[in-house]
Amino acid sequence: MSQEDNQNMGVDLGEFLEFYLLDSQEQVEKLAAGLLQLEKEGNNVGLINDLFRSAHSLKGASGTMGFTSIVALTHSAEDLLDRLRQGKMEVSLPMVDILLAVTDRVKEMLRQVEQRVEINVEFQDVVDEMNALMRGEAPVPAKTIEAPVHSEAPSTPSEYTPIDFQLTEEVRDQVQDAQGLGHGIYQAVIKFAPNTLMKAVRAVMAVQRMENVGKVVKMIPSVEDLEVGNQDEFALLILSDDSPEEIREELLAVSEIAEVVIHPYSGTTTGTPLVTNQVAAAVHAEVLEGAEAPFDTEQLKQGIKPAQPVAVKAVPSSPAKPVAGNANNGASEGSNQVHTIRVDTVRMDNLINLVGEMVITRTRLVQIGQDLKEQYHMDAMVNNLNETTVYLGRLMSDLQESAMRLRMVPIGTVFSRFPRLVRDLSRKTEKEIELVLKGEDTELDKTVVEVIGDPLMHLIRNSVDHGIESPEERRAAGKPELGTITLDAYHEGNHIAILISDDGKGLDLNRIYEKALSKGLVGEREGLSDRDIANLIFLPGFSTADQVTDISGRGVGMDVVKKALNNLGGMIDITTRAGEGTTFTIRLPLTLAIIQALLVEAGTEIYAVPLSSVLETLLVEQKEIKNVGGIPMVQLRGNTLPLISLREKFELPPAEVEPEEVFVVVVGLGDKALGLIVDGLRGQQEVVIKSLGEYLNNLPGIAGATILGDGKVTLILDIGSLIQDILVTRRG
Amino acid sequence: MAEEQLVTFGLGTEEFGVDIMLVQEIIRIPPITRVPKAPDYVEGVINLRGNVIPVVSLRTRFGMERVEESDLSRIIVLQVQNKVFGIRVDAVTEVLRLDAESIEPPPPVALGMDSHFIRGVGKIGERLLILLNLDNIMGGEMNHESA
Repeated sequence: MSQEDNQNMGVDLGEFLEFYLLDSQEQVEKLAAGLLQLEKEGNNVGLINDLFRSAHSLKGASGTMGFTSIVALTHSAEDLLDRLRQGKMEVSLPMVDILLAVTDRVKEMLRQVEQRVEINVEFQDVVDEMNALMRGEAPVPAKTIEAPVHSEAPSTPSEYTPIDFQLTEEVRDQVQDAQGLGHGIYQAVIKFAPNTLMKAVRAVMAVQRMENVGKVVKMIPSVEDLEVGNQDEFALLILSDDSPEEIREELLAVSEIAEVVIHPYSGTTTGTPLVTNQVAAAVHAEVLEGAEAPFDTEQLKQGIKPAQPVAVKAVPSSPAKPVAGNANNGASEGSNQVHTIRVDTVRMDNLINLVGEMVITRTRLVQIGQDLKEQYHMDAMVNNLNETTVYLGRLMSDLQESAMRLRMVPIGTVFSRFPRLVRDLSRKTEKEIELVLKGEDTELDKTVVEVIGDPLMHLIRNSVDHGIESPEERRAAGKPELGTITLDAYHEGNHIAILISDDGKGLDLNRIYEKALSKGLVGEREGLSDRDIANLIFLPGFSTADQVTDISGRGVGMDVVKKALNNLGGMIDITTRAGEGTTFTIRLPLTLAIIQALLVEAGTEIYAVPLSSVLETLLVEQKEIKNVGGIPMVQLRGNTLPLISLREKFELPPAEVEPEEVFVVVVGLGDKALGLIVDGLRGQQEVVIKSLGEYLNNLPGIAGATILGDGKVTLILDIGSLIQDILVTRRG
Repeated sequence: MAEEQLVTFGLGTEEFGVDIMLVQEIIRIPPITRVPKAPDYVEGVINLRGNVIPVVSLRTRFGMERVEESDLSRIIVLQVQNKVFGIRVDAVTEVLRLDAESIEPPPPVALGMDSHFIRGVGKIGERLLILLNLDNIMGGEMNHESA
């Protein structure tokens, strides 16, 4: 296990660890499930591709977090899957076995990451076996994995040094008595996460927690010292009949506590003086078996209280009284502590779902009110009802906005994992690169933040690998040797724009075109703007990297990025200038749950257009519509606007009588616009986005569904995919 | 003795059966919203108490001609492999028990419909009951990625 793994654990990535764990565990599960399916189905290309992607993103994410052993393991697995993918190897039983072994090991490693302990799972044997398999050698019989550590207590290695808790004579005797009676005495060295504020409060919380398992006899340094000092760890002497693991678990449950090392304590007679910074080093010293001796709790409690007046404040020796004292303590120390609370995201999502349902219900009320008004339009009670629903509507939108704000997270939480990535990558590529972060305070929905990390990572890797030149090349081109990658975010209406720009060599448009042509992805070059050509790299199956590198991978990149963004209702665009650099612009909706929508008619059907992408609505005369290259266009204030007929697009029969004028809803994302020809406008409404489910997830032009006030399902249009669609049509 | 409990329904002149454990509920036909670009056998989606679920027309799926909705038409809401969807049938006939012994494997040339939808044929006196394999009703060719 390298030093790097360990250091990384708590240093600056702590807050992303949860994302990483969640995501990686999911990918491992996907892999494991997929492998079992693979075993059944043999060479299923789609499945192998999925597996490869899972392994790839697992590797990428682990690389970002600096868990090198997971990267090593998944890299080999990825290699193996890549051969399968390219048809160089056939699915075989040993292969599935070994890949399953990989998932087991990675799971084990992730468990250690989760427990904040060093990764020490052996993996080289699996890597060797995979290499042997790839060389075509007979497989070494796959070993079963005997989860090496997790059943054992990872927290009780045999080496430790007893800490001198500076017990008074009296207390020491009590502790010894207790040991004599068979109760456990443990010393726990507890490390704070880096940059923890209000350490004293955390310590008090830890001590309180210990009441669930036993008692704290002594704490050093004292709470007072912790408050003023800058220690990053403290030690507790604990009496407990529970196992060390249980104690450890309790302690780790306190937020901002990064690491806990527990040993049975035997230092009541001898002891080394504690200098807090030396506590960690102490682990490597002499070996002492914890001699457990019985004790009498009651006796001990009484013994401690008078003898340790300092500890009483921090150490509740009787549950009732000191709790109040601690609460005061906490409040006076950290007045800013009460400003934030942590809430389980499931609870929050639940709240937001309920708000969503209420929005639907209110819409129904409005409808009922309107129906009533038509029937009894002079009735005062009906008017009363309608006024009330209007007021309710106002309350609802406030409530909804507040609820949505709960989920807003600054994008900085995603950004701040990249400096490390860029640093590592620039070392690996021997390039000098600086990453500049801007707009980190820009807020967007939690759901978006969770999924934007991977696409961004891909793009940054791409910029490092293909964008920025080597220092020599840069010097030759008269540029500073230090290349810059800028990550910027800002709000743009109801969207967030994220820019990834580099000052590198720019895209080689000729090469891109040649490549796309040779792969049959593109036709005549005529009529293609530079930007059109640059956008070719987002087509599936396109990758200019002739060389497979560890960094930007094997062409799983760009089309996957685009697809991921499209799935979020977003878009990506490129601008590039030879010699000056490339900028990727991502536009995403701020939230994914409730949206304002414009309801439009196509034939007898109703569709919802997200209002955030509606620019305007027009009434256009048929004769103004001109056919250009197979696509209907209309002139709008000097610009040509391509049109799509929703009827045609969705395979509805054409209108019996062609109207002289048609409604056009102009929709746009970024600077791209498109006109949707519809048969009528139904007004705007708030809608809750519902998924169409797994079966119907990936239909072109449809982003999801919603339920209208009358209980009918209406489909929501996917403007991003419609616009990209027509761009492709134009290109082709 | 092993026996199966089945929900049986009619489709044209044939009678079919599905395992009752997979049946979540049986409902009258609500308004169905067509989903453009979906496979032809997907009739559309419906609102089932706030959830949007797809509905398969079994007639289309089995290559039978379409018929107008009647008073007897129903949607059987199924949960197969944790996924909820509905199948539209002409009429739900009964719930019955069938001995495992009276179930035979599907005939090689299966009544003119795709044999991978059929799990077996049950015999109740003179009646023949086609037992459906629901794993393949929804999905199958839909699993491929659209991009």
